[in-house]
Amino acid sequence: MLVAVVFMFYTFDPGDMPLFPKCPFLLVTGYECPGCGSQRAVHDLLHLDLKGAFSQNALILFLIPYILLGIYLGFFNGKHHFPRLEKLFFGKWAAIIVVSGIIIYGVLRNVV
Amino acid sequence: MNRYFYIDSEGKQKGTFSPEELKSENIKKDTLVWTQGMNEWMRASDVAELDIIFAESTGYYPPQPAAQSAAQPAFSSAQPAGYGAPQQQPMPKSWLIESILATVLPFLLCSSIFSLLGIIGIVHASKVESLYIRGDYAGSLEASSQAGKWTKIAMWIGIAWVVLWIVVVVLIIAFGVSMANIGDILNGSGYEI
Repeated sequence: MLVAVVFMFYTFDPGDMPLFPKCPFLLVTGYECPGCGSQRAVHDLLHLDLKGAFSQNALILFLIPYILLGIYLGFFNGKHHFPRLEKLFFGKWAAIIVVSGIIIYGVLRNVV
Repeated sequence: MNRYFYIDSEGKQKGTFSPEELKSENIKKDTLVWTQGMNEWMRASDVAELDIIFAESTGYYPPQPAAQSAAQPAFSSAQPAGYGAPQQQPMPKSWLIESILATVLPFLLCSSIFSLLGIIGIVHASKVESLYIRGDYAGSLEASSQAGKWTKIAMWIGIAWVVLWIVVVVLIIAFGVSMANIGDILNGSGYEI
């Protein structure tokens, strides 16, 4: 399934294709949510176009390594090897910072 | 007899202990242990020499509550200072990593509304550790199960979302609708995603 999804993101440009899911938040409110552009950003990333990805959705560039780290720590026993890393990036305060960072990004991108 | 290191519920490495001494530590079946000669950390229940630790709880011997409670005070004095009362039960699973992921991942999948579920998970998950350290084990356990519940709800909705999306794409391709037609049907607000 993962391979299929990655393949689709690589082959098709979500910016041109109506197949990719629309953001319900955007449709309802007319504002871009913090995730808008993430699929185009993933597409650009898969083509190693960092600049393009950054302009589509800068947040995602930071979130993807973070997500991968989280998956490693949480599901591949990483937290037993690097308990400090877990405390630092996935502690209570990290959670608060991540969530508020996402919200601030969401506000800023619509205001600026 | 080998001497073992183990990793406690807070992720700290402790050791060394003989299997006999490990009995009075907080060793669970999935606690990771290591001793000389092992390539990597192993679950305690997978180490034959440590079977004695779990023998009592699986009912091979009649339980001896009196002997156990007598043994504990002697042990608690050996615990590192700063931990307050000895924690007899390991900390419940905090779900913090899982709930953070459940909050962050929907932004990649354009289902950011589901992030709210993950945030509810984080709120509960962040209580687990503080309640546990305060000594409120029941509250900690409750927070843990709430966090787990919301994180799982978020996870299943996320999976359903991805499956639904794939099904829609496959159906569209299977019916061979031309790109132009799909564009007309779905043409809402440009191609914003």
